[in-house]
Amino acid sequence: MRRSDNLQGTLELLILKSLEHQANHGFGITLHVQTVSDGLLHVEEGSLYPALHRMEKDKLIKGEWRVTESGRKARLYSLTAAGRKRLAEAESSWTSVAKGVRKLLRFA
Amino acid sequence: MTTPWKWLRRRRERQAEWQDELDSHLAMREEWDRAAGLPADQARLAAQRQFGNRLLTLEDVRAVHVRRWLDDLVQDARLAVRGFRKSPTLAVVASATIAVGVGASTAIFGVVDPLLFRSLPYPNDHQLVSVGYFGPVDNNEFNVVSSYLDWRREKTVFQAMTSMRPESQCDLLAGETPLRITCQSVEANFLRTLGLTPAMGRDFTRDDDQPHAPPVALISFALWQSRYGGDARVLGRSVTVDEQPVKVVGVLPKGFEMPQLGEADILTPERLDATRPRAANSSAPLRTFARLREGVSIEQARAAMLPLFRETLQLDVPKELRSEARLVVRSLRDRQIHEVKLASWMLFGAVLALLLLVCANVANILLAQAAARRRELAVRAAIGAGRGRLVRQMLTESLVLALAGGLAGCGIAWALMRALVEMAPDGLLRAGRTGVDARVLLFALAASVAAALLFGMAPALERPRAEALAGARVAGTARTLFRRLLVAAQVAISLVLLTGASLFLRSFWKLQSEPLGFRTEHVVTASFTLRQQRYRPQQAQSAFFHELEARLKSIPGGGTFALSDSIPPRGSMGRPYSNLRIAGHPPVAANGGMVDFRWVTPGYFRVMAIPIVAGRGFEEGERASGESPIVLSVTLARRLFGNENPVGQQLDLTADGHWHPIVGVAADTRNSGLTETDPEYYRLRMDNSAPPRAAVALFRTSLAPATLARWIRKEVAEVDPSLPVTVEAMEQRVGRFREQPRFVATLVALFAAFGVLLAAVGLYGVLSFLVAQQTQEIGVRMALGARPRDIAARIQAYAGVWTGVGVAAGAACSLAVTRMAKGLLFGVTPGDPLSLLAAIAVLALTAVVAAWIPSRRAARVDPMVALRYE
Repeated sequence: MRRSDNLQGTLELLILKSLEHQANHGFGITLHVQTVSDGLLHVEEGSLYPALHRMEKDKLIKGEWRVTESGRKARLYSLTAAGRKRLAEAESSWTSVAKGVRKLLRFA
Repeated sequence: MTTPWKWLRRRRERQAEWQDELDSHLAMREEWDRAAGLPADQARLAAQRQFGNRLLTLEDVRAVHVRRWLDDLVQDARLAVRGFRKSPTLAVVASATIAVGVGASTAIFGVVDPLLFRSLPYPNDHQLVSVGYFGPVDNNEFNVVSSYLDWRREKTVFQAMTSMRPESQCDLLAGETPLRITCQSVEANFLRTLGLTPAMGRDFTRDDDQPHAPPVALISFALWQSRYGGDARVLGRSVTVDEQPVKVVGVLPKGFEMPQLGEADILTPERLDATRPRAANSSAPLRTFARLREGVSIEQARAAMLPLFRETLQLDVPKELRSEARLVVRSLRDRQIHEVKLASWMLFGAVLALLLLVCANVANILLAQAAARRRELAVRAAIGAGRGRLVRQMLTESLVLALAGGLAGCGIAWALMRALVEMAPDGLLRAGRTGVDARVLLFALAASVAAALLFGMAPALERPRAEALAGARVAGTARTLFRRLLVAAQVAISLVLLTGASLFLRSFWKLQSEPLGFRTEHVVTASFTLRQQRYRPQQAQSAFFHELEARLKSIPGGGTFALSDSIPPRGSMGRPYSNLRIAGHPPVAANGGMVDFRWVTPGYFRVMAIPIVAGRGFEEGERASGESPIVLSVTLARRLFGNENPVGQQLDLTADGHWHPIVGVAADTRNSGLTETDPEYYRLRMDNSAPPRAAVALFRTSLAPATLARWIRKEVAEVDPSLPVTVEAMEQRVGRFREQPRFVATLVALFAAFGVLLAAVGLYGVLSFLVAQQTQEIGVRMALGARPRDIAARIQAYAGVWTGVGVAAGAACSLAVTRMAKGLLFGVTPGDPLSLLAAIAVLALTAVVAAWIPSRRAARVDPMVALRYE
């Protein structure tokens, strides 16, 4: 896990956010995070998959085997209702944490 | 319900799926890199490097699932404990019931395990068999030297055959005091055939086993430790056995057991002599054992031995006995436990029935509790608990109960086993091999878990219904039907137990009250066996008995005195009936089996209080005369002479031309166990006769056995200070024959009593539940004019129906099951109607009592209160 994953729940937030608009597989999620953050953030596979399974067990996301556009079989994850709710909560709490941290940094 | 197989398969499939997911990730990454322009092999490496440890990731994924499962389990267990805390009485009653069930069955398992299940202390013990002739002379198969020498050439079905002489006592001189120990003479290949090697030193060799080889011995581990302090220098040392120097060449393995289940302090080579005439070798008895070749069955071995058996039968077995002798090849385990096998299975079966009853009872308790919790479960189902999740929770609760009960049960089992070891007669337990160990604990665990599954299944399978959410009293017909069936099953099982108990008790009572033909009270016995070495000359032997008799007779307060070589209820070895000749009569019928006989002094019939029914007993004056008189038992007299008067006739006992006058006829005694009467004759111990070295001195006295014992020992010591004597009251001796029936009867009765109690509690529980459930309905009925009496009658009739169903099923089972106990019963037939009726009466009475309280409660329902209910 890199520096960006240190705050608990961050990985979960990243995954939820990546799946907000479309279902995706694990590899897609790593690509998405990397591309959208301009390479600043990076999700490691070793943490990603246990997290995906845990979140699936918690019924935040739902996994399904599908065939991708390139004709490959992959397990695609999509948000459940509970997942969407959790995403909203996590987003707002992240925003407030970030805001707080930014203020603190400016003060110093 | 998913079966374990399905569950396993699904688990495997899921694991494969997780792996596939990771693989697909790798493939996509590789493709991506290739699309970015990397060569194929570099792309793969890059993908792998990027991914890191694939196995570790897979492990982490699995951990997510396992941890979740464990979390659920802990949650269930916590919920269970919380639930039990709400109704502690229920939980305590349930786990106490389980504790008793698991405790009793574990204790009995611990007792029968070494007999029935555990492997014998020999490698590949399933190959070991006992081989021999079986005839009316012995309870076990035996052999004779001449036949064995022929048999052991058989090499097609046996890897090896070995032999031993029947066990004997000998005296070990270690220091000053002689020690009476058990010596066994065995063939050189004895240990090797059993698959054992000495713990130290060497095994016997073929040379040791030659007729005139220098005497050598193997000593037992225990003897080595106790007498020689475990000193390795014992090897090569010379010890004195029966006044003869013997060299110790080895030490037997620790815990060594003879194959016929005896102990052995010392093994010496048996030194069979094939050069002796066949007639001499055919009268020397042996026990023979063999190891089957791999894959050869006992039936095949027996078939292969039959031609040899037929051949030697003609050569070695007296003509009169041939038609009664047959070949026996049986497993060593059967040989060891043949007398207690049935009793062991009976006890184990009885205690398993008890465990089943316990399960039924706890299931009933849980069902009652589940009824009260129906709403809670419905709520949990409504907010999304899966059906599997609910089933699991119920099963976890059962498991928590069962394990708590099982833990307490282990304590009960430990205490019970100690009591059983104290109580049990010789032979029913394998000394030193009964105790709480890993196997026994495992059994307790298995019994608890199996019980939990059994009684937990019933409430777990109930599907929560939506109606229950409203708190309405749902009738739940399926469940109450199940509970009624459960009660009926309980009644049935306890009836089987009760019938068994009443059969055993009646049988035991008959055994106890069966007249023995002699009186045991006030009779004290002192038994001893002269040592072979010292008393080899016949004169030395007669001189010893002569002096001892004179001394024992004059013990003050000793009362009437007699000397015999053996006493009932055990028969002597016996002689063939067909050897008897009556002067002036045609030869007696062949195939007459065996006739017991004893060498007695004139006082014998008075001490034993055996009435002389014709003629007279022996007289002291006759002992010096040349004629050796005999007394017949009634059975023998009737068989030989019919209605003719036997007194005054002459009898030849061994077809050797010696005629003996018959002076009297004595009443029959139970001389072959407590239940059988064999024909018997008595010979007078003459001044010049050579009776056997084993002897029993008898006293009919008013002295206490302990007081007399001191006198006896003192007198014996003055004649031969090295002769050990066993003094016992006659009652004690005879009592030993009743120990096993008493043991079985006591235990089965105990189980049955507990079973009835459980059935009563079960019936009471169901009826109370029913009354509580129907309070409203009863109220309405009462309001409409039903009398309390009618209401009570309704409840009682209801109890009657289900008890009746149970009794009918139980009676049928009893008839089937008790038939198997036939061999353990005396004077009662398995289908004995009285025992069955007694059992039914006890159960019916119990049912009435159990139904009385709930029915009275029903009759007291106040219509107003009942109608306002809820």
